[in-house]
Formats: sequence, structure tokens, C-alpha cells
Amino acid sequence: MSSVSAAPHRSRSRRRGRRWAWDLLGIALFVVMVFPVFWMISTAFKPDDEINGLTPTWISTAPTLDHFRDAINRPYFWDTVQNTLIIVLVSVAASIALAFVAAVALAKYRFTGRKVFIVLMIGILMLPPAGLIIPIYVVLARYGLTNTLTGVILTYLTFTLPFAVWTLRGFILGIPKELEEAAMVDGSSRLGAFVRILLPLVAPGLVATSVFAFITAWNEYIFASVILTDQANHTTTVWLSYFLGTSRNVDWGALMAASTLTAIPVIVFFLLVQRRIAFGLTSGAVRG
Amino acid sequence: MRRRRPLSLQSVARASVPYLLVAPVVVVIGAILGYPLYRLVALSFQTYGLPELIQRKGEWIGIDNYRSVLGDSVFWDVLVRTIVFTVANVALTMVLGTLIALLLVQLSAPVRVLLTAGLVLVWAMPAVVAVQVWLWMTNFQNGVLNHVLTELHVGDYFQHDWYASPFSQLAMVTLLIVWAAIPFVTVTVYAGLSQVPRELIEAAQIDGASPLRVFRDVTLPTLKPILLILTSLSIIWDFGVFAQPYLLIGASHVDASNYLMGVYIYIEGYAHSDYGRGAAISLLMLLMVAALSVPYVRRMVRMEDTP
Amino acid sequence: MRARIIVAAVLVGAALAVVASTASGGTTATNSITVWLQVDAQAPNWEPIVKAANAAFQKDHPGVAVNVQYQTWGNHLQKFDAALAGGNAPDVIEMGNTEMTKYMAAGAFQDLTSERASFPNSSSWLEGLAASGRFGGKLYGVPYYAGSRVVTYRTDLFKKAGLKVPTSLAELTAAAKKLARQNGDQKGFSPIYIAGTDWYVAMSFVADYGGSIAKQVSGKWKGTLASPKSIAGLTAYKNFFQAVSRASKTTDETRPNPYDVYAQGQAGSMIGPGWFSCCVGDKYKGLTAQFVMPSKTKGQPMPGFLGGSDLAVPVGASKALAVDWIKAYTSTASMTALRGIGNIPNTTSLLGNSVNERAAKRSWFVPTAKNWVNVENGNILRNMLAQILTGRLTVKQAAQSASDNITSVLNS
Repeated sequence: MSSVSAAPHRSRSRRRGRRWAWDLLGIALFVVMVFPVFWMISTAFKPDDEINGLTPTWISTAPTLDHFRDAINRPYFWDTVQNTLIIVLVSVAASIALAFVAAVALAKYRFTGRKVFIVLMIGILMLPPAGLIIPIYVVLARYGLTNTLTGVILTYLTFTLPFAVWTLRGFILGIPKELEEAAMVDGSSRLGAFVRILLPLVAPGLVATSVFAFITAWNEYIFASVILTDQANHTTTVWLSYFLGTSRNVDWGALMAASTLTAIPVIVFFLLVQRRIAFGLTSGAVRG
Repeated sequence: MRRRRPLSLQSVARASVPYLLVAPVVVVIGAILGYPLYRLVALSFQTYGLPELIQRKGEWIGIDNYRSVLGDSVFWDVLVRTIVFTVANVALTMVLGTLIALLLVQLSAPVRVLLTAGLVLVWAMPAVVAVQVWLWMTNFQNGVLNHVLTELHVGDYFQHDWYASPFSQLAMVTLLIVWAAIPFVTVTVYAGLSQVPRELIEAAQIDGASPLRVFRDVTLPTLKPILLILTSLSIIWDFGVFAQPYLLIGASHVDASNYLMGVYIYIEGYAHSDYGRGAAISLLMLLMVAALSVPYVRRMVRMEDTP
Repeated sequence: MRARIIVAAVLVGAALAVVASTASGGTTATNSITVWLQVDAQAPNWEPIVKAANAAFQKDHPGVAVNVQYQTWGNHLQKFDAALAGGNAPDVIEMGNTEMTKYMAAGAFQDLTSERASFPNSSSWLEGLAASGRFGGKLYGVPYYAGSRVVTYRTDLFKKAGLKVPTSLAELTAAAKKLARQNGDQKGFSPIYIAGTDWYVAMSFVADYGGSIAKQVSGKWKGTLASPKSIAGLTAYKNFFQAVSRASKTTDETRPNPYDVYAQGQAGSMIGPGWFSCCVGDKYKGLTAQFVMPSKTKGQPMPGFLGGSDLAVPVGASKALAVDWIKAYTSTASMTALRGIGNIPNTTSLLGNSVNERAAKRSWFVPTAKNWVNVENGNILRNMLAQILTGRLTVKQAAQSASDNITSVLNS
């Protein structure tokens, strides 16, 4: 029996009073956490003398779009956006497709070598990437994939697949056997049952995995910068580093404007999937 | 009489299904990582610097690289420092992340949406950009941080150099990493909280249990698997972190007094072009992280044995 | 189910194939050359010079495309290492002059000694820069451009204090003290902004007093920062810094950028490369001029660090084409244009009388040891300066410790 209806009027208003306090704390937390993001966006609109001013300006009194214009006019801006979108989307799609299939095998079949395989997956997650930069480059050179988006995608897959396999396996293991058995009664094959029951239940998990693949591909710098030499092939993180890579002066306004622009697709993506992510990451784990 | 199943083509095909399913992943990872992993191990037993790289030929020296690394006091200092750093970061991230998740439950809907949106914004910011913004905010000459602290009369922070001592430098790095990691933890734990059975919480509350008791006895056990996953992932990621400390402390400031493992590997191995030594340190680091995560890994591998 | 897997695999494979075909691959054709220049050369006033060189090259080699790929200073060496390991290094690469020795010693470049005479103006190459392209008696790098350090100052503040351009270190120090008195009410004002760990300035003092960083003695390197002359130089730097600069004692010369401090009105002057005058802000653009940093000896410039770049041809490159491109890019016309945008050209025959060029007349350079880069990466000099300026160690102790460190790193 719910305790809410039995509560006297006094405690309900006390709860409301307490809620005001929590809300205040929530807002304060919001301000503190989001401040750096706010600062980046605000700086993007400030004219240069405000950016360099001795006392910081919170919100510009003379906002300008010049920095955004500079950023977009920098060489290869649109190429970079296109490249990054291609890399990210293909990485995410490939990660999900390949990892899901492997995770099904690991969760539902008892084949020799499966335990070794799963331990290898987590082992790869623990490898320090710095050690692998040159060897991976050498391998890609042998395949003729240096300076190509494909080379970068394949490299990113080696980072995201282990995590994806690991996570999706956990989800699939968390699905109650009764549901499987109910489906098999229908006379469908074992595999057929898995797909019809499995897919909808694991969908949130797939979303979670795709988010991880997205972050990895979007944020990654070192491998992208070493593998891609032609500026026309660069990703956004590498392109951004060029603002800072000169031995001359740094255009802070343009850098902040460029960063703001490149953050937009990510924010859009996250807003679309964030509710699904949370559900996805926990529904399997809790039962496990 | 027992009838033996015939070894038919169909049963062979059925048995090969799992291998076929796993094959694509194996092929991709094997094609890209197979040779590098072998190379990494091989390099750790060779002298392999820039001349050797150009000539594509190294010189086998047995375990000398390992001996040199393990005998270097800098290595042990870095190891201890990285462990302390990891513990601090993971603890802060998990505690703050969980607390904020608990807070989210208590908020009214509009504020909850606001805070969640804020967390998503933080999550979406690429690390490279976040470092630049952080540098900008904490800079010596006209950084916002100094300005705010002075205005709030916390003290005179006019032109305070936040990167003057190793402790201060690593504190700044911790601040950045924890800030960026909180959204992931909070959102995950928040979702986990929604899995906690409402009836149990209300039953405990009717019984007069304090919020702390409720948390400890009802909420925590349900959250345990999630917290375990997040903690172990945080340990792996924070132990090997490279970009944030290297960029924030700055290439001109990193040295033996503030190295973290990720930066140490990069400088000792790759900036110095001593690839053999870098490989040895990488493998040692892998062993260490593996050792730290054995309990969790074992639990996950055994997951399939539970009914 | 299996059908679905096959379909999924085919889709992924198709996607990858599409991506592979649309993305441009690395240049493997023999009718093109790849040139790695730093992103500095992509600036709007610099890129035309590169394009002109490409055009001149293509006139002699029609049908050979020039693929210029701009790199950043932050990781171009790592990319170069990877390219060397992978067998696709560029045909021409721009290297910082302090980066050359390590790669020359490792055999990364092709020997250009026999082509030396055919490079434009090679008989009058700027010695301070050309030295960085030689190793073991052979030529590996063609000097590209140089830059030295000057003092950029506020003409209005100097005028208000009744100051003339100083011709000795003592005069400069006195001028700085006067500026400090005049602008004392401005919190954090530096008469001369120098970042604490700006080792380029500090080592100039050491060179001025006759000291040095390290010397080669019968094949082995020995750190010489603890010699009496070096210590005199370091002490002079310490005293100078304390009198003239309010910058952080432990930060470097990019955090913050001196010209940003200057633009905020927080500096009466600053020591740095000549191009600093680009970024002093609209307020002070018309009130800014430069002079040569004076030595302790009246009338002489203090030896300045000669920064700059060389052009080299990595092993495995098409040598003839690479050499021809370098010739086109370092031609007299090209050098004149480079000089026009504020760089010091690679030949004394084109040297003019700008402040930047006068300052280059007396210069010092880092020890040409193959492990010098490790000294820089390990921030040994910066740490020494931080220790000296914060008083954590005496000049003697800090110098001795740094010197020993340098000896072991250079010989390792």
C-alpha cells in the first residue's frame, strides 16, 4: 500500500519545502558543471579585445560573428565535418553489427575458447594506446590504408569492439530464460527466437554501445592525426589542433567558435538518445 | 537402447555457427591488432631506437629493457603517483556521480531536465576542446578562476599560477577528468535507481528507517552491479589517461615530478624514440591494470554460469 | 537469422568499400612528390610563396604534382617516425633546426653534399642556420628561414619616462626600473615581460657572459652550466628577471603569450621573436616599436637564440625531384618574399637592416647532440630556471644538478 495517500497534509508541504532546497542545489550544480561549456560559447562571440582583457567579461557587450566566419573559412572546414561524420557513422554501425553477432555467440553458445575470447576482449581494453601507434601505422601501410578514412575506421573498431562485445554479452545474459523458452514453443528455431525476442530487449544496450563508439570516434585524436596526413582527410579533432599547432599566435576566438560548431552534432545526437542510454546501460546489468 | 545422434552435415553446421558469428570481430581485431601486439611484445626485448626504426632492424637484448625500467626509481615513483591519482579520481567520480544521481531523484521535473541537459552538454564536449577551455579559465594572467576566487574574497588569487607545483598541476587534471566523467556515472546510476523496487523503499520508510539506512540496505544492493561496472571501467580509463595531463600540464611542464603512467610511456618511449623501452613499460602497465581488475573480470566471465 | 547476419555483413562490407573508394589514398604514384611544411606556411601571407615555388617547380617538371601537406609542431615528429616505419615518408620535410641532429645521426635523411653547390645562394648561407643541417661532415639539411629575438616595446611609455633605446644591459635595466616606478600603481605590470622559464632568454644571458650549455670533449658530451661563466650568466638573468618581470616564475612563454599580456597593457615591453608585433592589439599597434636586446657590453647585441627551419630529404624519397623542389622554394625570389613577411632569409646576401636581422648578427645555438631533443622534452633547463627563480635552490645548486642531468642525457 502506497504511503502517499496516508500522509497527513503537513508532511506533504514539508516535502514540497524540501524540494525547493533540492531544486536550488540542482540549479547551483547546473551552473557549476556547465560553466566551462558556457565559457567556450561565450568566448566564441566576444571580440578579441574582450577575450584578452584583464578582467573577464561574462557575456559580451559587443557580440560578433567574426570568429564563426573565420572558423568556417579556415581551410577544409566542410571536408573535415564530412569526414568525421562518415567515420563516426560507419564506426558506430559496424561496431553494433559485428559486436552484437559475436555477443550472441558468446552468451548463447558453449563453444570452446569462449572464455579465452572474452578475457582477451577486456585485455585489449587495458592496452595503453600510445604503445600501438607506430605498429598499427605500419600494418595500415602494408594494406595501403594510410591516409584513408577506412584505415581510421578499422583502427577505431579495434577499440570499440571489445567494449561492445563485453557489454552486449552482459545484456544478452541478462534476458530471462522463460522468454526464450516461450518463443521456442512456437516452433521457431533457436536462433529465430533469439532474434525476435532479443532484439527489442537488447535495443537499449545497442544504443549504449553506439554512444560509446560515437564518443570514441568523435573524440579521438592521436591515431587520426598520425594516420591521416592530407588535410582534406582530417577529422574535427585534428582540424581543431591546427589552431594550436602553429608557432605563431593562437586565434582563441576562432578556436572557441570552431569548438562550439563541432560540438553541435554531438549535442544533438546525445539529446536524441540520452533517455535510451540510461535505460540501456542498466537494464541488463541489474539482473546480472 | 540409446540412439546416437548421427554426425550429419546439419549438426556440423550447427556447431560451427558460434565460430562464424564471432569470426567478423576476430578478423577485424586480428587484422589490425594482431601484428602490433606481436610487435609490442617483440620490441620489449629489443633495443629499438630511431636508427633501428629507419633500418627496420632491432637488436635482441633479452630482458634488459625490463631490468632497466624496473630498476629506474622514476618508474616506481610514477607507478605510486598514478595509483594514488587513479584512486582519487575514481573515488571522486563515483561518489560525486552517485550523489548527483540521488539528487536528480529529489528534483522537480523542470530542474531535473535542466540538470540532465547540462550533464549532456558536458558529456558532449571533446577532451581536446575541454582542455583548451580549462587552460583558458585557469590561466595566470586573466583567468576566470583567479578572478572569481578573488572577487568572492576566498583569498587573493590575483595572477595565481595553478600550474606551479606537481600537486597543483595534478589537482587541475583531476578536476578536469572528474568533471568530464561525472555525467556518464550520474546518468547510469540514475537509471539504475529507477530499477530499485519502489515498494521496498516505501516499506522501509514506513518502518521509520533513516534515509541513510534506506540507501544502505535497499538501494545499494540493487545498484551494486552497476557501481562495479562503472568503477572498474573508471579504473582502467583513469590509470592510462594521457591526453588530459599531457595537454593541460603542457609539453613544456611534464617531467619526472608529475608524470602519470600514460604520459610517462609517451615521453620515455615515443618522444625519446626508445621504442623498445616504451614497449616494455606498456606491457608492465598492462599487467598492473590486469592485476587490479582480476576480481571484477572473474565475476563477469562467470556470469553465464548463473541460472 | 543466418540470412540476417549475412545481410548485415554485406552491408558493412559495402559501406567500407564505398568509404575506401571515396576517401583519397596516400600518394603512391611516381609522378608526384609529397612535401611536409609546417602550418605556419599556410598563413594567408605565406601560402602564396609556397604556391609560387610549386609553379616554378612544375614549369621544369610538367606532369609532376606537388602535394603539400601542412603539419603541426605538436606531433609532426611522431608522424614522421610512423611514416619512416611504414615506408611512406614524404619527399621533402621541414624540420626545426633543433630537431635536425637527432634525425641526421639516425640516418633519416639522404646525403645532399654533392648537390650543395647547386642550391641557390649556398656560398652565402647564414652560418648560424646552415650549421644545423650538417652532420659528420655531410650536408643533410638546406637552411630555410630563421628568426631571432628582439625587444618589442611601448613607445608611449618610454617617451613618458624620457627613455631612449638602451645600448647596454645596464641601461636597459635602469630603464626598466624607471618604468616600474612610473607604472607602480598598476598591479602586475611588468616593465619587461619575460616568462620565468623562458630558457631562450636565460641562455642568451649565459652566452653573453661566455658560458654555454654543454661542450663535446673527446667524443663525450659534458654539461657546462656549472662553469663560473655560466653561473655568472644565470645569476645575471636571475637579477634581471627579479627587477623587470612580474610574470609567473614557473610558467613558460606560451602561458600566457607575452603579446597577450602586452595587449592588455600589462607590459612595458617584451622579449621574443620579431613577429610578436603582429598581435599587440589595436590599442597599442601604433605605439609599438622594436629594438635589439643589448649585451652587457655596450654597443653589442646580446647573443640571441637563432630559431629556424631546414628542409631535408628523407631516405626513400625521389631525391632528384625533391632537390629541385627545394631549389625552387629557396630561390632568391622566394627568399626575398620570405624576408618580406618578416622572416630572416637563409643567405647573408639578402640580409637587410631590420631589427630582427641585426639581432641575428650575434647568436647562440643548442648543443648539436643527437639526444638534445631529450633534454628539451625532459624540461631540464626549464626546471632549473624555476628552481633558481623561486629560490628553492641556489644558482650553483640548480646549475650543477641540471648540468649533471644534461651530461647523462646527452651521453645515454
